[in-house]
Formats: sequence, C-alpha cells, structure tokens
Amino acid sequence: MTTTAEPTRTEHAVVGQRIPRIEGRKKVTGQSVYAADVSLPGMLYAKLLHAPHAHARIKGIDTSRARMLEGVESVVTASDLPQFEARRRSNRAYVLLASDEVVFAGQPVAAVVATSSAIADEALDLIAVEYEELPVVLDPVAAMDPGAPLARQPIEEIDRSEARGHATVDVREEEGAGKPTNVASQVRFTRGDVAQGFAEADAVVEDTWRTPFMHQGYIEPHATVAGFDPVSGELTLYTGTQGQFFVRDQISNMLRIPETKLRVVGMELGGGFGGKVFLTQALASVLSFIAKRPVKLVYTRTEEMTSATPSGGCVAEVKLGMKRDGTITALDARLIYDTGAFPGASAVVGAILLGGYYRFPNLDIRSYEVLTNKVSVGAIRAPAAHNATFAIESALDEACRRLGLDPVETRLKNAVAEGDEMPTQQKYPRIGLVETLQAARESAAWREREAWKTAAPPGTKRGVGLAIGGWLGGLQPASAVVELNGDGTINVVVGANDITGTNTAFAQIAAEELAVDVSEVSVVTGDTRTAPFAGMSAGSKTLFTVGRAVKEAAEDARRQIIAVARERLGATEEDELELSGGEVRIKGQPDKALSYRRLGGITTGFGAAYAPIIGRGSITARRQAPGFAAHVAAVEIDDATGEVTLRRWTTAQDVGFAVNPLNVEGQLQGGSAQGIGSGLWEEMVFDVQGHLRNPSLLDYRMPTAADLPDIETILVETPSEDGPYGARGVGEPSIVPGAAAVANAVRDALGVRVNDAPITPERVLRALGRI
Amino acid sequence: MKRPITLKINGQRHDVLVEPSATLLEAVRDQAGLMGAKEGCGTGDCGACSMIVDGRLVTSCLMLAVEAEGSDITTIEGLARDGQLHPLQQAFIDLGAVQCGYCIPGMILAGKALLDANPNPAPDEIRRAIAGNLCRCTGYTKIVEAIAAAATQLQGATP
Amino acid sequence: MKRFDYAAPASLREAIDTLRQRADGVRLLAGGTDLLPQIKEGGLWPSHVVSLRRVPELRGISFDPSTGLRVGAAELLSDVAAHEVVSRHYQALAEGAGIVGSVQTRNMGTIGGNVCNAAPSADTAPPLLVFDAAVVIASRDGERQLPLSEFFLGPGRTALAPGEIAVALELPPPAERSGSVYQRHTPRKIMDIAVVGVACRLVLAPDESMAEARIALGAVAPTSIRCPDAEALLQGRAPSVALFEQAADAAREASSPITDVRGSAEFRRELVRVMTARCLAIAAERARLLSERTCR
Repeated sequence: MTTTAEPTRTEHAVVGQRIPRIEGRKKVTGQSVYAADVSLPGMLYAKLLHAPHAHARIKGIDTSRARMLEGVESVVTASDLPQFEARRRSNRAYVLLASDEVVFAGQPVAAVVATSSAIADEALDLIAVEYEELPVVLDPVAAMDPGAPLARQPIEEIDRSEARGHATVDVREEEGAGKPTNVASQVRFTRGDVAQGFAEADAVVEDTWRTPFMHQGYIEPHATVAGFDPVSGELTLYTGTQGQFFVRDQISNMLRIPETKLRVVGMELGGGFGGKVFLTQALASVLSFIAKRPVKLVYTRTEEMTSATPSGGCVAEVKLGMKRDGTITALDARLIYDTGAFPGASAVVGAILLGGYYRFPNLDIRSYEVLTNKVSVGAIRAPAAHNATFAIESALDEACRRLGLDPVETRLKNAVAEGDEMPTQQKYPRIGLVETLQAARESAAWREREAWKTAAPPGTKRGVGLAIGGWLGGLQPASAVVELNGDGTINVVVGANDITGTNTAFAQIAAEELAVDVSEVSVVTGDTRTAPFAGMSAGSKTLFTVGRAVKEAAEDARRQIIAVARERLGATEEDELELSGGEVRIKGQPDKALSYRRLGGITTGFGAAYAPIIGRGSITARRQAPGFAAHVAAVEIDDATGEVTLRRWTTAQDVGFAVNPLNVEGQLQGGSAQGIGSGLWEEMVFDVQGHLRNPSLLDYRMPTAADLPDIETILVETPSEDGPYGARGVGEPSIVPGAAAVANAVRDALGVRVNDAPITPERVLRALGRI
Repeated sequence: MKRPITLKINGQRHDVLVEPSATLLEAVRDQAGLMGAKEGCGTGDCGACSMIVDGRLVTSCLMLAVEAEGSDITTIEGLARDGQLHPLQQAFIDLGAVQCGYCIPGMILAGKALLDANPNPAPDEIRRAIAGNLCRCTGYTKIVEAIAAAATQLQGATP
Repeated sequence: MKRFDYAAPASLREAIDTLRQRADGVRLLAGGTDLLPQIKEGGLWPSHVVSLRRVPELRGISFDPSTGLRVGAAELLSDVAAHEVVSRHYQALAEGAGIVGSVQTRNMGTIGGNVCNAAPSADTAPPLLVFDAAVVIASRDGERQLPLSEFFLGPGRTALAPGEIAVALELPPPAERSGSVYQRHTPRKIMDIAVVGVACRLVLAPDESMAEARIALGAVAPTSIRCPDAEALLQGRAPSVALFEQAADAAREASSPITDVRGSAEFRRELVRVMTARCLAIAAERARLLSERTCR
C-alpha cells in the first residue's frame, strides 16, 4: 500500500485538538481503580522474603516457625512451584522464587500468604534460610574477562519474549557459544573502513562514558490480585500492567491454563515506563492456586528498588573522527551493558542508535550484554537509548568544540534522513530529525544563549547545551471495535492499557471519522476476554498501532452507516452521502438526513430492519516510524559547590502528527524530566557486596517540582507513512537526549566535561580539580 | 489487639476497627473504603498518600490511625461538592496535568493546602509546596500551571 | 507494617510511668516521620509505641526577653519555622526547621524528634548548637538540663537514659546586633537529607568586632558538632572575607566526614569550607542589618 502525506491539521475537526483526558474526572476525584485498590471476598495477603546476598547458594530453608504464626495460611518456597522448561531460567519472570542459586541481593526466596499484610510481614522474620555465599561479580567490564568468575550458572538459551515488545529490530544477538562466560549476548555492526576514516579526520575524540542503573520510577508499585476459583478452574488477575495480553499469554503458557479460563484485567496503571509489564503476576497466581483463595501481592518501594526490573548501566567507549568542515569520518565504539543477573538489556538497540543518528561513512560498533550480580534489568522508556546517546552526543559535541564548529550546524550536516541506513543496513523511512534540529535552532533558549550566559549571577557560570536522540519504535498487531449504540452514541473497545491518554486519542479518532463531538464517544479498555487484541503499551506504539486499528474500525462503521442510510433514505447510486453533526445525509438535500439516534434505533431495536453497526479494525504494522527529539538545556552552576541548577529546558520533537497536542506536550515534558533526572540525580548505587545503597525515594532522587524549570515544548510534525494522520510514537524519544544535553550544557559552562552520569556537584568539583 | 476508633473523614463519621499499628492510610482505604489516597513508598518520600488533617498536609502512610482520632481528615474524595469539581480538580483536567493519575489525589491536596494558606502563590512557591509530591509522568510543568490557574479562579470567586 | 501495642499518655507523669513499665522494646512516637520508616523498612520492631502527641507539657513555644526561648519538644517543625519570634531572633533555627523534608514532613515531624533521633544530618541541630541550646529532660526523678553539645553521643545515640523524655529545648536570649544562618547542601533543592549543614551565629560589638562567634556543622561527623577553633579565630576581631576564609579552613579541619551514598569525605570537607565562609558572611550581614533596623 502506498500512502501519501496525510492532510494537515486544519482539515480535521477533532484530531489535532487539545482535548482533556476523557477519564480525567475519575482521576482527579480518586475514583480510578488501580490494582492495589481491588479487594475480593476472602482475599489473603502475600509478602516476599528477599535474599540478603548478591550471589549465594541456598542450603536450606526452614519455614516451620513462620507457618505456626496465627493468621499465616501458607509459606511457599521454590520447591512448591511448578517447573518450567530449562530455557526459562534465563527469564526473570519465570524464576518466581530462587531455588538453589541466588543471583542478586533482593531476589525473592520465599513467600508468605496470611490474613493480613502485617501478619505476613511478621512471618517473614520467622523464616530461616541458610546460605553459602559465592563470589560476587559486579563490574561488567571485569566480568567480560574470560577468566572472570561467573555471575550465575550458565544459561543455554535466552528467552527474550518481553523485550521484543519495546523495540522491534531484525537483528538477533549472538548468544552463549562455546565456554560459558558472563557475556549473555553480543552484536557487531561494521561499515566501511574505520582506520581510513580516522586517518581522514582532523579531530578524534576518544573517551569513556558511564551511565548507572536507573529506575523507571513509576509512583505505583507493582500490584496484582489473583483470584483462582477452584470450582470453575478459572483464574482472574487484576493487575497493573502495560500489556494485559502479554500477561495472559505468559501465564497461560507457564501455568498451562487455556486462555478461555484466564482473564487478565489490566487496571488503571500508575506509570510503567517499560518497567511494568510482567513480573509478579505468575507468583500471585501460584499463591492463589495454593491458597485456593484470592491473593493480593503488592510490592513495597524497597522491593521496587531492589527486586523489580530497573534499567541497567552502561560503559560506552567511543572514538569519533571529524573533519574540519564538520563531516564525521568514523565511529569506533564498544558498548558494555550491565544487564544484572538476567539477560534483558537492549544492547542491540543501543548499538543501532549509537550509530544511527548520523551518516557515519565508517563504523565499527560492538555491543555486549553482560551478566553481573545486580538486580535483573528490564525496559525503561527507550531502553538502552539514553546510555548510548549520552556517549555519542557528548563525543560529537566535544568534536565540534575542538574544531570550533557550531553544534547545530554540524549535526545538521551529518543527520540521517529518509533513505539513509542504520548500522543494520535497514533504511530509514520518512523521519524528521533535520526538521527537529532546525526547530531547536530557532528556539528562544538556543537563540538567546549568548546573552543569557553573559548575565550569569556572581559566583555562577552558565552554559547552554544541545543534544539529540531518537527511538525506532516497536511493532505489534492491534485491533479495535467501534459500535453505534442504540441512542446514537459511539462505543470504542480496545485491549490496550491506557497510561498516557491513548484512549482520549482513540475517542478523537472515532469522533473524527464519524463526524461527532468527542463527548459522544466512549472508549473502554476491555479485559483479555472481552477486548479485541492489542499489543503492549510500550515501544511508543500504542497510538501508532491501536490508533490505526481504531481508525480502521471507525471507517468500517462509517461504511456500514452509509450503507444503511443509503437504503433508508432512498439514495440513488449517484447520490453522495456525508456524515456531519451526528447525522448522515444526502449531500445537497438537507431534508434527507438520518440522525445517529434514529440509526441506533433501527439497528438495535425490536424487529429492527438493519443489523447493528459494528466496525472492526484489525491491523498489523511492519514499518516503524522513528521519532527524534532535540533538547536544549540551560544550566547555572555554583562555581564553589558544583551545584547545577537547571534554568531552562526546551524540547523539540518530531511527533508526526499530534492527535492531541495537550497530551503530546505532557509526554515530551515527562520524558524530558526523566532524561534530566538521569543527567543530574538518578543513580542506583551498589556497594562492593552488591547491595543497593539507596533503595528509597529519598535517596534515589527523582526530580521534584522544585528541581525543574518549566519545560518548553516544540511539536514538529513530519508525518509518518503509516501512523494515523501521520502520527508517530512520542513517548520514548523524549527521554533520550536529556543526560547528554545536560552534559553539553555543563561543558559549555565550565570548560570541562563530566563523563559519568549523573552529573552531581561532587563530579563537577572533581572535574574542576577542586577535590 | 484491634481497637474501635472513630475517624471524621470529609465531614463524615467512620467507625472502624484497626490495629494500633495501622496507618491512617490503611484505615481510610481498607476500613473506611476511600481508595483515592495511594501508597507509593510507605515512608513519606513520595506524597501519594497525602491528606489534610486538621488543616495540615500530612503523609498518611506515616501517621497511625489511632493518632488521627478526633481530627478533621480531608481526602481527595472530599473536594468535589454535589458533583461540582473543586477548581483545582477542574484545572488539572483542563490543563492536561493528569497522566497516570497515581500521584494526583495527593498532588491536588498539596495544591489545596498551599492555596488555603497562600491564595496567590508565585510559580516558585508552588514548586516548593509540592516538592513532597513526586510525579513521574508530567515533569510538573502542567501541574504548576493548573495550580496557578485554580488560584486565579478561586480568587475571582471570592474577591 | 508489623504490629505493636500503643499507648497515648495524657500527661508527662503518665508518659514517664508508661515508659518505665514497658522498658523493653518500647519506642517513643512524636511525629512518626523517623520512627515509622524505621519500623517499616529499617528492621526495627518495637513491642510498644508510646505516643507523646497528647502530652501537654511537651507543647508550646514561649519567649521572654530575659530568659530566652523555650520550644516544647513536640512542637511541629512547621510551627517552629513559622513562629514570629523564632524567625526574627533565631533565624538559623527557623531556616533549619523550615527545610526538613517536605511540607508534609514538617507538618508531622517535631523539633524534639529531629533532635532525639540524633541523625548527624538533622537540620535543626546545627542551628540549636549555635544558639547554645539546652535540652530539658524529664524522668521520674524530676527534670535536668543538658547542653545540646553534650546531648549527642553518636549517630542515633543521645544522652537520654532509659525512662527519660526530652521535654523542651531552651535557647538563651538573643544578643543585640546578632545574625544567624543555616544552610545545607543537598543534591535536590528540597526534599532531601543534608550532605553538609552549616549554621553560624555572630554577635557584633559596638566597635564592629565579633563579640561572639558560633559555627556548627551537620552531617560531617558522627554527631552535629561545634567548631571551637574556628570560632576562636573570629572572637574579638573585625569581620572580613579573609578572616572568614581562615575560619572556614579551620571548620573544614574540625570536620571528620565519612564517605557514603550521599557524598564522599573529600567532597564534604570542601563544602564545609565553602559553605562556612558563605554562612559567616551572611551572619555578619544579618547582624549589621539587624542593628540598622534597631537604630532606625
């Protein structure tokens, strides 16, 4: 199918409008129901016991005292659990409780089910576990050494079912050949002649950039209520997830329950950012099987920090060559992703992005996923992207400085556009990186930078930095139903879990296609037994894929409406019918009209002459719509304490087409805040034993309102080929350039570069040689 | 040993039976059945459980329910009157300040506590007043705008 | 949270009796902002919690120009910070109390709790030290007073004996022509724990020399500390940038920070130097401003 550029905003009535969230009223009154708000009759409460060691062998577990505590229903260890195929040992979600080997501090080793969470908590203290400590592997670079001790027993084959939902790439990692090592996978991309490229360069920047483990930081902890009904054999899960169908498929496979007897109800989700798909649902289900009663399992914040799936760290060694005129000549890089104790770091995606923003004539990128005894990692908003981008965008900025080149013009000179190749040799579809950079160049924050810097208060230094970043996006089939109700209003049913306002966008799409006010449309996310299939709300693809399905379903409904109306109104074949203002009419004959209300009646009432109007949309997506962002950071640094204060932040991003600019701005602002967090504060700190030293929201510092300026947004609209109205995924690109933009601004202010994120006052003072 | 206590929540009496160790958050959610307040951390670091107790904004995860007996407790459920949203609630919707919504009940109450004490706050004062309420979705820009807009509206309503 | 028993005595006497009867596994509860996180996540499991919320003797902020300021131990940090006399005459204390945690923390946490928890990073401790505060302590045997400088024994450890309760903090009357300040360094602007806290108080003599100088540091030693050597450098001399820098170097020497997740020892020492010099300048400026205001 060939698609031409979609019409511009002015041609639309509803899409493109700033429509407030359709479920907003429930959210501001506290009526939205999240998983932890669910209670079922006879419900029990589960709590987990976590390993205190980062690497150990479990010699024995004594649960007898815990079982005797009044109110304790069951105490469960790995021996009580179903067995899965061997390859599933590589998948954190299948290792419900550690059986023999503990591979990270915080790994669950036992579960208590009791009549109250307080009793369950007390019972944890009564479980005695005997451990034999094993060597702890923490440094991913050292862990790559062939002689390094192993972080865990060798993995034969890696299960990557979840990671594919976040970023869909055609490249497969090389895994586990030969002697067991800590390198879970590796990938290499080459192009041209790197040595020749460096020979042609006038400046070569070579350095190492480090980014730490970072937490997604959703405010709602993981929560699941599992209700197993021993009579019917049915299992119902009320859970917070970005992908209820994914949870269904996994549980069905793990626990051998047909999907007809399994209902996963994705509740209102209190943030996910890639980290909340499938983690505790299977354990909650098993506990409910054992107890034969509903079981609620809610993580504490400490568990979120020590025992969920944050983003891993990365060591990026980058060598970049550039000519005096700003032409990039070569890139040679090694990315070492610390994936914690289970595979899951998106090392391939990191490598593609590292070499994917610019037209590198010569490149050689090796990317590794290395196992250590830290908490298992998962996706974060644009997994692996911010790590790679911090390195490449710092390196490029440094090359510009050495050659006295303008950072925007140099980027424009080398930026990829439609038809250019990624390191995978895959060609970019239509993208708007150039347009995005141009928009950032025109922003006030960038244009006014020299005057702003000159006005630095005494004792401070100011700097302005720019960085770009992007995300390729995920692909997954999707479907939707659009139906006309008896009263002429519209119901949209989808299976995608709404986190960011996608249901509001779906309402706009249905309203647009059926020419009604958005208030006439309701959108419901059904559960896995009532809703049409949708993929995970991840990979910046919900609107891109499900939105297309909704549009298709609405178009289908429109066709049915016109068919009924054509007959009902006695239209001739030459008559053209149009939809407008909640009715369908013959063009040019205002009296020949049929209201949707009437249409609803004649398609649903007793003895109705026509079949119900039910539009069906079912699509699959095969071409991504990569999104790019450019961020401008303006920082003011206390010269004596090294404290970095962010004064101004502008983000320009190609969103393709903003179906709802209000919500799109919110995505860009939220992603920026996370990127800024990774640049200035956020870091999971592990000690030499592998214990997380800052497992609280006091010491794992996400930005508060007092730490951020207003975040200015510029929406760039370079329509994608396949997205509804040209829309492309907007969620993920917005986090990607943040840390690099901060770093480049700090470099601009101080004249020295900080290569380790986050850029703390202490690192600033070290870079300045003060300590 | 559980104890019977009476909590006055949003002007209504709730007779509940709680462990002395139960937090106000647990009592309001599990006993009184008002689920608007959320637990995000349990240690007072995120503000999702914020309530207004005797005119003061508190993190209800760190207050024992028994200690709140006799106090006037306001939760998010107490803000709308007769189906009419509080101006803060309306502004949060209209200005796009709500995303996942988990922090929002606490955030709106933090906004209310601020506006009760300081009807015309500067943006910087708003930012400091809500610094105990973490939001991971919005980057705060639209939240600050919404609180400022509600302040303007409230001042217009009571000149 | 694990279960515990609870009592809420209605008088100081009753509180002391309750404490004595349940000596083992008993914990005093004031605002709960330190105790409850310790029970939930810090491995503490008391059998009994004795609340001080209903004890009237622990409440009240009173000021008498001849005897000074008395702050009940159970006074909320937000009330201390907003109190007119405190903000005017004990500005460093208002600043310290006003920056603990979040709005919510200050609406629950008490000054007595902040002090008795004995965190080296407690934001009210350095200000109280520069005001030569004393802790009023009650037990079955009556009341005693202890200078705050002798109250802190180590991280989480105080001079309170079993059965004793901190009732109030007493601060001597403010000197004329004095200025004080508390500043701290934290990675986030607020809602954080001090990496370094510095309080300074200066009293100017009629000849503009410093009649009295106090410097106290938080988060850079096992307890909040005074810096006598640095103070001695200032005593009797005229304020100057160079002198303040000398004193700041001495304060840096007085600190003995550790490296932890919040900052390294070297970083903290450097901040002590930078921030002490800044705080001394601010305190001197405030002392001058105050005298100007008084003259007018």
